[in-house]
Amino acid sequence: MTARDDILHQLRTTLARPDLRFPPVQTEALTPATRMTVTSAAGDKLALAHRFGAELVKLHGSYQIVESVAEARMALINQLLVWKSAEAQSRKGYRLETSQENSVLSWQPDLLPIQGIDDALKDMGFQLVVPTSLRSAESREAIRFIRCGLTGVEAAFASTASMLMPSGPHTSRVTSILPFRHLALISFERLYPTLESWLREQREANTLTDFLREHANVAMISGPSKSTDIEMNLTLGIHGPKFVHAILFGKPEET
Amino acid sequence: MPTAVIDLHAPYAKRVADALNNKHLKTTLGRATGRMSAQRDNAMHAVDGALLRDQVRQMKAYVLRNWPDLLEQLESNLIANGAQVHWVRDDAEAIQAIVQIARRANVKKVVKAKSMTTEEIHLNQVLEKAGMVTIESDLGEYIIQLNGEPPSHLVAPMIHRRLEDIAEIMQQKLDMPPTLDPEVMSALMRAKLRQEFLTADMGVSGCTFAIAETGTICIVNNDGSDHLTATLPRVYVALMGIEKLVPTVEDAFLQYQAFCRSATGQQTTSYLSMTSGPRKRPDADGPEEFHVILLDNGRSAMLANGYGEALMCIRCGACLNVCPVYREIGGHAYGSPYSGPIGAVISPLLPLGVTDADKLPYASSLCGACRAACPVNIDLPRLLLDLRDDQVQDGKGSLFDRSAMLGFVQTMKSQFRYEQAGKLAGATTNLMTNFSGGNLKFMPPPLSGWTQSRDFPVFARKSFRELWAERQERRHAIQGGTPAAITKRADHS
Repeated sequence: MTARDDILHQLRTTLARPDLRFPPVQTEALTPATRMTVTSAAGDKLALAHRFGAELVKLHGSYQIVESVAEARMALINQLLVWKSAEAQSRKGYRLETSQENSVLSWQPDLLPIQGIDDALKDMGFQLVVPTSLRSAESREAIRFIRCGLTGVEAAFASTASMLMPSGPHTSRVTSILPFRHLALISFERLYPTLESWLREQREANTLTDFLREHANVAMISGPSKSTDIEMNLTLGIHGPKFVHAILFGKPEET
Repeated sequence: MPTAVIDLHAPYAKRVADALNNKHLKTTLGRATGRMSAQRDNAMHAVDGALLRDQVRQMKAYVLRNWPDLLEQLESNLIANGAQVHWVRDDAEAIQAIVQIARRANVKKVVKAKSMTTEEIHLNQVLEKAGMVTIESDLGEYIIQLNGEPPSHLVAPMIHRRLEDIAEIMQQKLDMPPTLDPEVMSALMRAKLRQEFLTADMGVSGCTFAIAETGTICIVNNDGSDHLTATLPRVYVALMGIEKLVPTVEDAFLQYQAFCRSATGQQTTSYLSMTSGPRKRPDADGPEEFHVILLDNGRSAMLANGYGEALMCIRCGACLNVCPVYREIGGHAYGSPYSGPIGAVISPLLPLGVTDADKLPYASSLCGACRAACPVNIDLPRLLLDLRDDQVQDGKGSLFDRSAMLGFVQTMKSQFRYEQAGKLAGATTNLMTNFSGGNLKFMPPPLSGWTQSRDFPVFARKSFRELWAERQERRHAIQGGTPAAITKRADHS
C-alpha cells in the first residue's frame, strides 16, 4: 500500500467509527450567508483612500491621495526624487558605485495604472528596469542594488492597507520584495473596503479560483518588511522594503 | 556570554530546573509574552472576536470531518497546477523525499523559511549531513541557528534571548562590531541573508494553511523571508502537516485573520504568500519546481486516539503567551519543537522522540487561560486531563500518585474514615501552626514543594458537620423553649 493510500484509508476508517470523540458527526461548512466579515470600512472611494492611507501609516508606510493621473505621475516623480536624495544622504564615508542608483525595478510599464511613466521618468534621469528572466546569476546581479521598486496592484483593501500582487510574465515578484523602497500605484477602481468585499465580487463573477490558479503566486502585502525578533524591538526593512509608499488616485465621486 | 543553552535531551526535571535557574529567562519571557498577549487581546476586541473564534472552529471541525476528501481535492488541484505532491507517513519518509528532490536538482544550498514542521523532522541536521548548506532565513531563526539552538516559541523563535545575548552571538559568529542598536543589527542581517537568497538552489518552507479548492500553499510572515524563499530559489519545497487544510479561499482569509490577531495582535502580517504552482513559462521569476510534501507523522493516529480536537490548532502561539508555566520555563524546557499548552498535548501524541514526553501533560496548572486565548476554542485543559487519565489507565502513573489516590479513594468510601481523616488533619495542622507563627510555612516532603512558595492552608479545627450539629443543637434549644432560653428572651424584651 502506498503512503497515500495508507493515510487516506486510516483517516476514512477512523472517521467511520461511531464512537469517535472528535470531530462531531454533524459539521456544517461556512457559507457566504453565514461567514463573517472581520474588518469593516465604509464611504465613497475618497473615504476609502483616506482609510487605506491611515492604516498604512499605522504600519509605518506612507501615502498620498491625488485626483488625476497627471498628478499621480508628478507625485511618483517627486517621491522618487525624495528617495534618491535620502539614499545619497544616507551613504556616509565610502560610497559604493553600483551604476543602479538611477534604476527603478518595475512591472511592465503598460501594466502600471498610469501610462507614459517610462518616458516621464527617463526625462528625469531615471531608468525603468523590467525583469524578464531572473534565472541566471548575472541577471540577479544586474538588479541586486536597485533601491526602488514600482508596481501597481490587483486590488487594495482599505480596512487593512493590504495590496494584492499577482505574479506574471510582466509583473515580477521581486519588484515588491527585493528593493529597499516600494512605491505602489493604486487607482480608486482597484480599491475595496475589505478583502472580503473583493472575495465576494470575484466569487460572484466566478473568477476567484481561476485568479489564484492562473498565477503561480499571489502575495498580499501590508506595509514594510518588519520584525520584532530582537527582544521585541521593532525593526523595518529586514528582507523586503523598509519604505512602502502608496499613491492613490481617482475622482472622489467614483464609488 | 549568552546565557546557557538548555539540553533538550536532558530529563524533564533537569530541563525545568535549568530554565528556572536562568536568571534572565523569566524577565525576558514575562516582558515578551505579556506584550504579545495584550496585543492579542486588543486585536480580538477590535472585531467580533467571539464570532471569529466560533467560525474558525466550525470551519476546522468541518475540515476534520471531511479530511480525506479535502486532501484528495488539494492533491488533484496541486497536480493540475503543475506541483509535485509527495505523501509521507513519517519523518523518515519525509526526509527521504526531500533529500531525493534536492539531489535530483543538484542542490548545494538551501534557504529555509521558519517552519515548526521542519523542526519536527530535524530537517536542517539531515540536509547538512547530506552535504548541503542550510540557512534559516527568518531573522530570529537565523540568529539562534548561529548559536546552535532550536526555536523556543511557535512564532517568536528567539523570545528567550535578550538584546545583549543577540549582540554577543552576532559579534562572535558574524564579526559584527560591538553594538546594541537593533537597526544596525538588522541591516547587517539583511546584507548577509540577501546574498544567501540570491545564491540558494532550493527553498523550504512549512505551510500555514493550504486551500483545497485551488491547490494553493499559503505561508505567512512579517520580515519577508517566507515570500523570498518561495520566490528566488529554482526549487521550492513546502512541507505540510496534513491537518493544515482549509476548504475555500474565503475560509483561508478567515483563518488568516484569526491567526494574525492571535499570533501577533496584527490585522494582517506584512506578507501572505500564496503559491499555487511553479512559475508559469513566461514568468520572470519563481521556482521551476514546486513540491508539496504531505506529512502524517502521527496525525491520523491522533484522530483515531480521540485527540482530533488538537488537530484544529493553527499554531498561532496564543496559548503559550498566556500560560503561567510557559512564562516561567520557556519553550526549551518542553524538549519538543511544540511547547506551551498545545505542545504539552501534541508532543506525547506525535512520534517526536521527546525525552520524558509523558510528563508534559503535567506542565500545566489547568487554569484555563490557554482555552480562553485559543482562536479555535480548543479545550486544552480537558485534553491535558484526558492525557493524564490515559496514562493512569495505562498504569503509567508514579507509585506515589497511585498510592495517594488509592488512600484517597479508601478514605472517601467510608464516612467514618472520612470524618476521622478530617479530624486528624485539623488537629495536626493546627498543632503545627504553633511552631510556625500561626501559618503553615513548612511542611514535610512531598508537601514541602508547596510551602517553598506559599503557606499551606490550615484545616479547620471542626468539620462542617460538627459545626452544623452544634448550630442545630443551639437552635433546637432556643426554639424548643428550654427555661433558660425563655428567660433570656424575656430579659431582652
